[in-house]
Amino acid sequence: MAVKLTKPKMINQQVGWCGGCGHGIIQRLVAECCEELGLAERTVQVVDIACAYWSIDTLNCDGIAGPHGRCAAVATGIKKVRPEANVYVHAGDGCSYVIGLSETCYAAQRNVPITMIVVNNGIFGMTGGQMCLATTLVGDKTVSSKKGRDDRVAGEPFDMLNIIQNYPIAYAARGALYDAKHIEETKKMIMKGFKNQQENKGFSIIEVLSPCPTNWKMSAVDAMEKLKEENSKVFPVKVYVDNTKGGK
Amino acid sequence: MAKAKAVADTSLCKGCRLCVGACPVKAIEPLTEINKKGYEIIRINEEKCIGCGCCYRICPDYVFTINTLE
Repeated sequence: MAVKLTKPKMINQQVGWCGGCGHGIIQRLVAECCEELGLAERTVQVVDIACAYWSIDTLNCDGIAGPHGRCAAVATGIKKVRPEANVYVHAGDGCSYVIGLSETCYAAQRNVPITMIVVNNGIFGMTGGQMCLATTLVGDKTVSSKKGRDDRVAGEPFDMLNIIQNYPIAYAARGALYDAKHIEETKKMIMKGFKNQQENKGFSIIEVLSPCPTNWKMSAVDAMEKLKEENSKVFPVKVYVDNTKGGK
Repeated sequence: MAKAKAVADTSLCKGCRLCVGACPVKAIEPLTEINKKGYEIIRINEEKCIGCGCCYRICPDYVFTINTLE
Protein backbone atom coordinates (compact mmCIF):
# COMPACT_ATOMS: atom_id res chain seq x y z
CA MET A 1 0.00 0.00 0.00
CA ALA A 2 1.40 3.36 -1.04
CA VAL A 3 0.31 6.86 -0.16
CA LYS A 4 -1.17 8.68 -3.12
CA LEU A 5 -2.34 11.95 -1.57
CA THR A 6 -1.54 13.20 1.89
CA LYS A 7 -0.96 16.41 3.84
CA PRO A 8 2.10 18.28 2.47
CA LYS A 9 5.23 18.07 4.64
CA MET A 10 5.48 21.86 4.81
CA ILE A 11 2.39 21.95 7.02
CA ASN A 12 3.74 21.01 10.42
CA GLN A 13 0.83 21.49 12.80
CA GLN A 14 -2.90 21.86 12.86
CA VAL A 15 -4.40 25.11 11.67
CA GLY A 16 -6.40 27.37 13.94
CA TRP A 17 -9.07 28.43 11.46
CA CYS A 18 -12.78 27.79 12.03
CA GLY A 19 -14.34 24.61 10.64
CA GLY A 20 -15.14 24.97 6.94
CA CYS A 21 -12.88 28.00 6.37
CA GLY A 22 -11.32 28.27 2.92
CA HIS A 23 -7.95 29.48 4.21
CA GLY A 24 -6.96 25.90 5.11
CA ILE A 25 -7.52 24.73 1.53
CA ILE A 26 -5.53 27.67 0.12
CA GLN A 27 -2.67 26.95 2.50
CA ARG A 28 -2.59 23.34 1.34
CA LEU A 29 -2.53 24.44 -2.31
CA VAL A 30 0.38 26.79 -1.61
CA ALA A 31 2.31 24.07 0.24
CA GLU A 32 1.71 21.55 -2.54
CA CYS A 33 2.81 24.02 -5.23
CA CYS A 34 6.01 24.91 -3.31
CA GLU A 35 6.88 21.23 -2.82
CA GLU A 36 6.14 20.25 -6.41
CA LEU A 37 8.30 23.09 -7.75
CA GLY A 38 11.07 22.35 -5.20
CA LEU A 39 10.82 25.82 -3.68
CA ALA A 40 10.06 24.83 -0.09
CA GLU A 41 13.50 25.84 1.20
CA ARG A 42 13.50 29.22 -0.55
CA THR A 43 9.96 30.32 0.19
CA VAL A 44 9.25 33.46 2.22
CA GLN A 45 5.63 34.10 3.07
CA VAL A 46 4.26 37.52 3.89
CA VAL A 47 1.03 37.35 5.88
CA ASP A 48 -1.42 39.97 6.99
CA ILE A 49 -2.64 40.75 10.51
CA ALA A 50 -5.95 38.96 10.05
CA CYS A 51 -7.12 35.39 9.57
CA ALA A 52 -4.21 34.80 7.18
CA TYR A 53 -1.84 35.24 10.14
CA TRP A 54 -2.39 31.62 11.28
CA SER A 55 -0.42 30.53 8.27
CA ILE A 56 2.84 31.83 9.75
CA ASP A 57 2.61 29.35 12.66
CA THR A 58 1.64 26.43 10.50
CA LEU A 59 3.79 26.51 7.38
CA ASN A 60 7.36 25.36 7.84
CA CYS A 61 9.03 28.16 5.88
CA ASP A 62 10.29 31.67 6.55
CA GLY A 63 7.59 34.23 7.10
CA ILE A 64 6.95 37.78 8.13
CA ALA A 65 3.79 39.57 9.19
CA GLY A 66 3.88 43.09 7.86
CA PRO A 67 1.87 46.03 9.20
CA HIS A 68 -1.82 45.58 8.50
CA GLY A 69 -2.54 46.05 4.82
CA ARG A 70 1.07 46.60 3.78
CA CYS A 71 1.82 43.05 2.65
CA ALA A 72 2.58 43.92 -0.96
CA ALA A 73 5.04 46.62 0.15
CA VAL A 74 6.81 44.26 2.57
CA ALA A 75 6.98 41.55 -0.10
CA THR A 76 8.41 44.07 -2.58
CA GLY A 77 11.18 44.87 -0.10
CA ILE A 78 12.00 41.20 0.47
CA LYS A 79 12.11 40.50 -3.25
CA LYS A 80 14.49 43.43 -3.82
CA VAL A 81 17.05 42.17 -1.28
CA ARG A 82 16.53 38.42 -1.85
CA PRO A 83 15.85 38.06 -5.58
CA GLU A 84 16.34 34.27 -5.43
CA ALA A 85 13.63 33.77 -2.80
CA ASN A 86 10.11 32.67 -3.66
CA VAL A 87 8.09 35.48 -2.05
CA TYR A 88 4.36 35.19 -1.81
CA VAL A 89 1.67 37.19 -0.06
CA HIS A 90 -1.21 35.45 1.71
CA ALA A 91 -3.71 38.17 2.55
CA GLY A 92 -7.41 38.82 2.72
CA ASP A 93 -9.62 41.15 0.76
CA GLY A 94 -9.55 43.78 3.49
CA CYS A 95 -5.76 43.93 3.42
CA SER A 96 -5.38 43.93 -0.33
CA TYR A 97 -8.37 45.91 -1.57
CA VAL A 98 -9.34 48.25 1.26
CA ILE A 99 -6.61 49.33 3.67
CA GLY A 100 -3.78 48.21 1.43
CA LEU A 101 -5.20 49.19 -1.93
CA SER A 102 -2.37 51.58 -2.75
CA GLU A 103 0.29 48.97 -1.87
CA THR A 104 -1.38 46.41 -4.12
CA CYS A 105 -1.73 48.90 -6.98
CA TYR A 106 1.85 50.14 -6.76
CA ALA A 107 3.29 46.64 -6.52
CA ALA A 108 1.36 45.93 -9.73
CA GLN A 109 2.48 49.21 -11.30
CA ARG A 110 6.14 48.43 -10.57
CA ASN A 111 5.54 44.87 -11.83
CA VAL A 112 7.53 43.39 -8.94
CA PRO A 113 7.94 39.62 -9.51
CA ILE A 114 5.99 38.44 -6.45
CA THR A 115 2.95 36.19 -6.16
CA MET A 116 -0.03 37.70 -4.39
CA ILE A 117 -2.79 35.41 -3.13
CA VAL A 118 -5.90 37.33 -2.11
CA VAL A 119 -8.56 35.46 -0.16
CA ASN A 120 -11.90 37.02 -1.10
CA ASN A 121 -14.45 35.96 1.51
CA GLY A 122 -16.62 39.06 1.22
CA ILE A 123 -16.31 40.12 4.85
CA PHE A 124 -13.82 41.33 7.46
CA GLY A 125 -13.35 37.99 9.21
CA MET A 126 -10.90 38.49 12.06
CA THR A 127 -12.41 41.74 13.34
CA GLY A 128 -15.81 40.14 13.78
CA GLY A 129 -17.64 40.25 10.47
CA GLN A 130 -17.95 43.86 9.29
CA MET A 131 -18.91 44.86 5.76
CA CYS A 132 -16.04 45.03 3.29
CA LEU A 133 -16.75 47.83 0.82
CA ALA A 134 -14.89 46.08 -1.98
CA THR A 135 -16.34 42.60 -1.75
CA THR A 136 -19.52 42.30 0.38
CA LEU A 137 -22.47 41.63 -1.92
CA VAL A 138 -25.51 43.91 -2.00
CA GLY A 139 -28.06 42.57 0.50
CA ASP A 140 -25.61 40.62 2.65
CA LYS A 141 -26.17 41.06 6.37
CA THR A 142 -23.05 41.84 8.39
CA VAL A 143 -22.32 43.32 11.80
CA SER A 144 -22.06 46.81 10.27
CA SER A 145 -24.95 46.42 7.82
CA LYS A 146 -27.67 44.88 9.95
CA LYS A 147 -30.40 45.11 7.33
CA GLY A 148 -28.19 43.98 4.48
CA ARG A 149 -25.81 46.07 2.37
CA ASP A 150 -27.72 48.95 0.81
CA ASP A 151 -26.20 50.04 -2.50
CA ARG A 152 -27.63 53.57 -2.14
CA VAL A 153 -25.61 54.07 1.04
CA ALA A 154 -22.60 51.80 0.71
CA GLY A 155 -22.33 51.47 -3.07
CA GLU A 156 -21.87 48.23 -4.93
CA PRO A 157 -18.99 45.75 -4.66
CA PHE A 158 -16.39 46.16 -7.36
CA ASP A 159 -14.18 43.74 -9.18
CA MET A 160 -10.62 44.80 -8.34
CA LEU A 161 -9.05 42.43 -10.84
CA ASN A 162 -10.80 44.43 -13.57
CA ILE A 163 -8.75 47.42 -12.47
CA ILE A 164 -5.48 45.60 -11.76
CA GLN A 165 -5.49 43.86 -15.14
CA ASN A 166 -4.85 47.25 -16.80
CA TYR A 167 -1.47 47.54 -15.07
CA PRO A 168 1.55 46.06 -16.88
CA ILE A 169 1.46 42.82 -14.84
CA ALA A 170 2.19 39.22 -15.77
CA TYR A 171 -0.87 37.38 -14.54
CA ALA A 172 -4.24 38.03 -12.90
CA ALA A 173 -6.81 35.31 -12.27
CA ARG A 174 -9.62 34.38 -9.96
CA GLY A 175 -10.19 30.89 -8.58
CA ALA A 176 -12.86 29.45 -6.32
CA LEU A 177 -13.09 26.74 -3.69
CA TYR A 178 -16.66 25.46 -3.96
CA ASP A 179 -15.88 22.07 -5.50
CA ALA A 180 -12.94 19.76 -6.14
CA LYS A 181 -12.69 20.75 -9.81
CA HIS A 182 -12.39 24.46 -9.06
CA ILE A 183 -9.90 23.75 -6.27
CA GLU A 184 -7.66 21.97 -8.80
CA GLU A 185 -8.01 24.90 -11.20
CA THR A 186 -7.07 27.31 -8.41
CA LYS A 187 -4.00 25.18 -7.72
CA LYS A 188 -2.94 25.54 -11.35
CA MET A 189 -3.33 29.32 -11.07
CA ILE A 190 -1.16 29.44 -7.93
CA MET A 191 1.39 27.17 -9.64
CA LYS A 192 1.44 29.56 -12.60
CA GLY A 193 1.99 32.48 -10.21
CA PHE A 194 5.02 30.78 -8.64
CA LYS A 195 6.45 29.82 -12.04
CA ASN A 196 6.12 33.42 -13.28
CA GLN A 197 8.07 34.52 -10.26
CA GLN A 198 10.86 31.99 -10.83
CA GLU A 199 11.11 33.02 -14.48
CA ASN A 200 11.13 36.69 -13.43
CA LYS A 201 8.14 37.52 -15.58
CA GLY A 202 6.46 39.98 -13.23
CA PHE A 203 3.64 40.50 -10.78
CA SER A 204 1.06 37.72 -10.44
CA ILE A 205 -2.17 38.13 -8.51
CA ILE A 206 -4.51 35.24 -7.79
CA GLU A 207 -7.78 36.01 -6.05
CA VAL A 208 -9.58 33.06 -4.48
CA LEU A 209 -13.29 33.08 -3.64
CA SER A 210 -13.48 31.52 -0.21
CA PRO A 211 -16.27 30.89 2.31
CA CYS A 212 -16.43 32.33 5.85
CA PRO A 213 -19.16 30.25 7.53
CA THR A 214 -18.63 31.79 10.98
CA ASN A 215 -19.20 35.39 9.94
CA TRP A 216 -21.74 34.65 7.22
CA LYS A 217 -23.60 32.90 10.06
CA MET A 218 -24.41 29.75 8.11
CA SER A 219 -23.19 26.16 7.98
CA ALA A 220 -20.06 25.35 5.96
CA VAL A 221 -22.12 23.51 3.34
CA ASP A 222 -24.55 26.46 2.93
CA ALA A 223 -21.60 28.85 2.74
CA MET A 224 -20.12 26.88 -0.16
CA GLU A 225 -23.53 26.95 -1.85
CA LYS A 226 -23.75 30.74 -1.43
CA LEU A 227 -20.24 31.07 -2.85
CA LYS A 228 -21.25 29.11 -5.91
CA GLU A 229 -24.68 30.66 -6.49
CA GLU A 230 -24.12 34.30 -5.49
CA ASN A 231 -20.48 35.36 -5.07
CA SER A 232 -19.20 33.72 -8.24
CA LYS A 233 -21.89 35.54 -10.26
CA VAL A 234 -20.59 38.95 -9.13
CA PHE A 235 -16.93 37.91 -9.15
CA PRO A 236 -16.49 35.68 -12.24
CA VAL A 237 -14.01 32.82 -11.96
CA LYS A 238 -11.59 33.20 -14.87
CA VAL A 239 -8.13 34.25 -16.00
CA TYR A 240 -8.22 38.03 -16.48
CA VAL A 241 -4.87 38.64 -18.06
CA ASP A 242 -1.91 36.44 -18.93
CA ASN A 243 0.92 38.47 -20.44
CA THR A 244 3.42 35.63 -20.17
CA LYS A 245 2.33 34.10 -23.47
CA GLY A 246 3.85 35.25 -26.73
CA GLY A 247 6.96 36.70 -25.12
CA LYS A 248 5.39 39.97 -24.02
CA MET B 1 -12.53 -2.63 -8.02
CA ALA B 2 -11.25 0.64 -6.68
CA LYS B 3 -7.51 1.19 -6.93
CA ALA B 4 -7.32 3.50 -3.93
CA LYS B 5 -9.08 4.16 -0.65
CA ALA B 6 -9.39 7.14 1.64
CA VAL B 7 -8.38 7.00 5.31
CA ALA B 8 -9.54 9.63 7.80
CA ASP B 9 -7.73 10.93 10.87
CA THR B 10 -10.84 12.19 12.63
CA SER B 11 -8.87 13.72 15.52
CA LEU B 12 -8.18 16.64 13.13
CA CYS B 13 -11.81 16.99 12.06
CA LYS B 14 -13.69 20.24 12.77
CA GLY B 15 -17.12 18.95 11.82
CA CYS B 16 -17.75 21.17 8.78
CA ARG B 17 -19.30 18.33 6.69
CA LEU B 18 -17.90 19.63 3.41
CA CYS B 19 -16.55 16.16 2.59
CA VAL B 20 -20.03 14.62 2.94
CA GLY B 21 -21.35 16.75 0.08
CA ALA B 22 -18.17 16.55 -2.00
CA CYS B 23 -18.07 12.74 -2.16
CA PRO B 24 -19.42 11.64 -5.57
CA VAL B 25 -20.45 8.16 -4.32
CA LYS B 26 -21.86 9.22 -0.91
CA ALA B 27 -19.30 7.09 0.93
CA ILE B 28 -18.82 9.54 3.80
CA GLU B 29 -21.36 9.36 6.60
CA PRO B 30 -21.83 12.14 9.15
CA LEU B 31 -21.88 10.87 12.74
CA THR B 32 -23.10 12.38 16.00
CA GLU B 33 -20.03 10.95 17.73
CA ILE B 34 -17.54 13.64 18.80
CA ASN B 35 -13.75 13.76 18.84
CA LYS B 36 -11.45 15.04 21.59
CA LYS B 37 -12.00 18.67 20.62
CA GLY B 38 -15.78 18.29 20.67
CA TYR B 39 -16.53 18.33 16.95
CA GLU B 40 -18.92 15.86 15.34
CA ILE B 41 -16.89 13.56 13.12
CA ILE B 42 -17.45 11.47 9.99
CA ARG B 43 -16.86 7.87 8.92
CA ILE B 44 -15.80 6.51 5.52
CA ASN B 45 -17.76 3.59 4.16
CA GLU B 46 -14.84 1.46 2.91
CA GLU B 47 -16.99 -0.54 0.50
CA LYS B 48 -18.35 2.48 -1.34
CA CYS B 49 -15.10 4.52 -1.46
CA ILE B 50 -13.49 4.77 -4.92
CA GLY B 51 -10.40 6.73 -3.81
CA CYS B 52 -11.05 9.70 -6.12
CA GLY B 53 -9.56 12.26 -3.72
CA CYS B 54 -12.47 14.74 -3.70
CA CYS B 55 -12.61 14.62 0.12
CA TYR B 56 -8.86 15.25 0.32
CA ARG B 57 -9.21 18.29 -1.94
CA ILE B 58 -12.18 19.90 -0.18
CA CYS B 59 -11.06 19.24 3.43
CA PRO B 60 -9.66 22.44 5.04
CA ASP B 61 -8.13 20.49 7.93
CA TYR B 62 -6.14 17.75 6.17
CA VAL B 63 -8.14 14.87 7.66
CA PHE B 64 -7.90 12.57 4.66
CA THR B 65 -5.10 10.50 3.17
CA ILE B 66 -5.57 8.54 -0.06
CA ASN B 67 -3.73 5.21 -0.17
CA THR B 68 -3.30 3.05 -3.26
CA LEU B 69 -4.16 -0.64 -2.86
CA GLU B 70 -1.11 -2.40 -4.27
